[in-house]
Amino acid sequence: MELIRILASRLKALFGGRRLDAELDDEVRAHIAMAVEENVARGMSAEEARTAALRAFGGVTQVKEQYRTRRGVPLLEQAWRDVRFGVRQLRRAPGFTATAILTLALDIGAVTSVYSVVDTVLLKPIAFRDPGRLVVMREAEEETEAGTRVMPDNYRHFMRLMGDTKTLEGAAIFDANGASVSLGSDHPRIVGAVTASPSFFRVLGVQPILGRDFVDSDANEGAARVVLLSYEGWQSFFQGDPRVVGRTLMNGGQPATVIGVLPAGVRFPDISIAPSLVTQSSLGAREDVIFEALRPNKFDLSADNSNFNYRAIARLKPDVTLARAQGELEGLQNAYSQSAHLPIRLGARLTPLNADVTSGISGALWLMFAAVGGVLLIACVNLANLQLVRAVTAERETAVRAALGASKSQLVMARLAESLIVAIAGGVGGVAFAVAGIRIFVAIAPGNIPRLNEVRLSLPVLLFAMALSVAAAIVFGILPALRSIGVQPQRALQRNSSRTASARDGGGTRSLLVGAQVACTVVLLIVTSLVLRSFSHLLHQERGFDTSHLTLAQVDLFSPQYGDNSLKVEATKQAFVDRTLTALGQLPGVQQVAISSAMPMTGETWIDELSRPDHPIREAQKPMVNVRFVSEDYLKTMQIPLLAGRNFADSDRANPRVALISEGTARAGFNGENPVGRKLESIIPDGQQPVTVIGVVADTRINGLKNTALMVYVPYWAFAPWTPLILVRSTQASDALIPEMRKTIWNIDPTVAIPELKSMDEQVDESVATDRFQTVVLTSFGGAALLLALLGVYGVMAYSVSLRQQEFGIRIALGSGKAALIKLVLVQAATPVLLGAGVGLAAALLAVRWVQSLLFQTPVLDPVSIGGSLLVLLAAATLAATIPARRASSVDPMQTLRME
Amino acid sequence: MGENKPDVLQGTLDLMVLKTLESMGPLHGYGIARRIEQVSGNALRLNQGTIYPALLRLEQRGWIKAEWGTSESNRRAKFYSLSRPGRKQIEKETENWERVAATMARFLAPSN
Repeated sequence: MELIRILASRLKALFGGRRLDAELDDEVRAHIAMAVEENVARGMSAEEARTAALRAFGGVTQVKEQYRTRRGVPLLEQAWRDVRFGVRQLRRAPGFTATAILTLALDIGAVTSVYSVVDTVLLKPIAFRDPGRLVVMREAEEETEAGTRVMPDNYRHFMRLMGDTKTLEGAAIFDANGASVSLGSDHPRIVGAVTASPSFFRVLGVQPILGRDFVDSDANEGAARVVLLSYEGWQSFFQGDPRVVGRTLMNGGQPATVIGVLPAGVRFPDISIAPSLVTQSSLGAREDVIFEALRPNKFDLSADNSNFNYRAIARLKPDVTLARAQGELEGLQNAYSQSAHLPIRLGARLTPLNADVTSGISGALWLMFAAVGGVLLIACVNLANLQLVRAVTAERETAVRAALGASKSQLVMARLAESLIVAIAGGVGGVAFAVAGIRIFVAIAPGNIPRLNEVRLSLPVLLFAMALSVAAAIVFGILPALRSIGVQPQRALQRNSSRTASARDGGGTRSLLVGAQVACTVVLLIVTSLVLRSFSHLLHQERGFDTSHLTLAQVDLFSPQYGDNSLKVEATKQAFVDRTLTALGQLPGVQQVAISSAMPMTGETWIDELSRPDHPIREAQKPMVNVRFVSEDYLKTMQIPLLAGRNFADSDRANPRVALISEGTARAGFNGENPVGRKLESIIPDGQQPVTVIGVVADTRINGLKNTALMVYVPYWAFAPWTPLILVRSTQASDALIPEMRKTIWNIDPTVAIPELKSMDEQVDESVATDRFQTVVLTSFGGAALLLALLGVYGVMAYSVSLRQQEFGIRIALGSGKAALIKLVLVQAATPVLLGAGVGLAAALLAVRWVQSLLFQTPVLDPVSIGGSLLVLLAAATLAATIPARRASSVDPMQTLRME
Repeated sequence: MGENKPDVLQGTLDLMVLKTLESMGPLHGYGIARRIEQVSGNALRLNQGTIYPALLRLEQRGWIKAEWGTSESNRRAKFYSLSRPGRKQIEKETENWERVAATMARFLAPSN
């Protein structure tokens, strides 16, 4: 009760503080006046009376302070006062405040957004049960001429290993492809299709949300055809119909029954068929996936020495290490190679699933993470520097406050409040930047970064980044405050009266910090400019073909009428291609039409060894070439020059065993001999007969801008692809042409799917998405670093100039010229900048080796990049130092001298 | 100022103020301070100012009331007077104090 009354009275006082202060003043004044009166009445002089009265009263201020402490809620009041004081102080230094808050916000935002992405893509385990135990299993061929060769899995080997292993809890073998799916009445769409042994989901630890999982009998010969749908596939084909189980869809023109739906977010893990093979993944990006039970064919069950066509995933038993499992499988494979008298020695390779999925992009992401770390470092240094500068400014003020009786804790609290205000404002800004940053990141990121759709703001990281930056702001705010409190106010006040001395005070630390900042910036700038140069090289590379005015359509002939390898089907496929070429050629504005068998810019596909019947080449030295089945107008449509021999002609239709090879192929396979007229073996899938080289064409970068590809072109009359790529060169823009092309193709056959229809420029553009992304991100970090360094140099120089104003005034008064003063300041700025640049250069020379693998045709010691970066930095630093230097030179000597 | 005057004992100032108000009726701060000095025969070292935090403390506890009035010399001043709980408190504090004093006296008495 009493407590409540006291509290109420105190709270009341909290809000009526000013009035109560006035009352106390009145009361004290009355007290003194009465005492004076009494003293005078006792015969003292007026002055004596007053002195005595005051002496009897004791310290007026102390009493008032004691009274106030007693009256309100002192802690709260004090805090509120500190905050208000802090805000006032900060408003008086808008430059410092804005810089500090912006630095904090940018830094928290950048670190959090980038880390959230890295965390999701690289670090967070895939959402399968106990994902640490999941491994990708591949076979290896050991002791070949080229060392150990990692290969996909053979069905028989896999089944045998499953029977023998004691380290694996379970495993599944699977193949991933596209499938042409429709509901029967519509045009089919190409979706991802995984054909897996029935244990697949049991191994992954995934259960369907609707219907049932595969059972072993689903893989039996003659069992009903069944499919499981991904959540997204269920939504897009059946609009999330809850009674989807039992419904039918057409898969490649064959009916199949839906038996279940998988939970949202469960996607086929995008495992490449071999670790060395970098392909532009198209399946990984697909969300609509159907899963079928794998039924081994005769070939699967018999082939022991070939048919390495599958991928496999396994789950380690608990407490079994990767090395132990790997050792066991290796031993089993070795033993089998011997006992079965295989001509090759088999081995096994296990990789953790997570590492396998991210192996292609981890380099770029880690680089980005390192860059963001650099920015974070620069930002913290910047903050430290700003705070130090601020603390020295505040030192005199601190001394004044201490002299007026502020207690130590009050002084520290005041600085703490100021730092906290900056930290909180920066933190709030940082959250906003982080959210925006993630949005931007996901928007501009290339499609081949896996699991991007899972990226969320990582709360722990946000808290971590905030804690770190806020701690940096506070520590560097408090430390100098503690130091200045240790200084006797008297000394601080005396010292500050001569301003030249304190300009050097703490100057060493500040210069060191500027130097460190410059060093970090130099490293970042050099890496950034290397990546920029590399990207520019990539885009301006001679491609060997003309991408403009080209439109592409990829067609999938996954329909029963095109379905097997018989001659009749071959004729059907060719007829489709013939009719398509003719029909598209008649569209208005079309100049040329051609087909090829593979999408450009998607990496190496249909790779065969080049064998010559007239000149046997040793197995390990056989060049690997890309085989393409094309129409006679392919060269004209792509505008690839013919260098020797002749192009395909209509007369070849009767005997299509002819081939064109690229310059690179000629060089690799014929060693400077004339290849025209020579023969190549086993290029056409069904034919045992060789093909004759009739011409040589120029090299192209058709599989990706980074490399020219070794090519062998064969007319489609020898073999028509199931996924013909149709190329149209037209005066019409792609946008206008695309609907016409779709209509024309579906007029010819409405049961084919058209998964891709776009301009060649777009396709090229998408193929460099990763590089562009990397470039954009690094450039923005480089820019941020430069900006921060600029602010750092400016802040320190501006501060030092303001401290030395009096000195400059005297110098001007003594006849020093403006130029001399500017030089004085610039020289002072130059020392840390040049030293920092030197250290940065040395660090960069070490760091760039690490980014070498990300660069395209750009040496890591590229003089343009390194020189350019240094030049930009020095120019920026000079600019940052010039502004304060000019201010120094325009000091009015009269005014500054009078100021003291 | 006498150098060997004792400080006002912690906790005794409250009782002195209350007792003063009980015997003198409503009084302003200066009056209370002077009265305490006089009663103690100027034997105590009292900073007159310290009376104000004490008055506030008593007011917050509801033992005294304060209102603005006019002094003998026609000066505006804050007058303090005892409240009913204050009177009760005097009894309690007095009892308390007497017990402490008696105990102290027993300690200090020559042992027999």
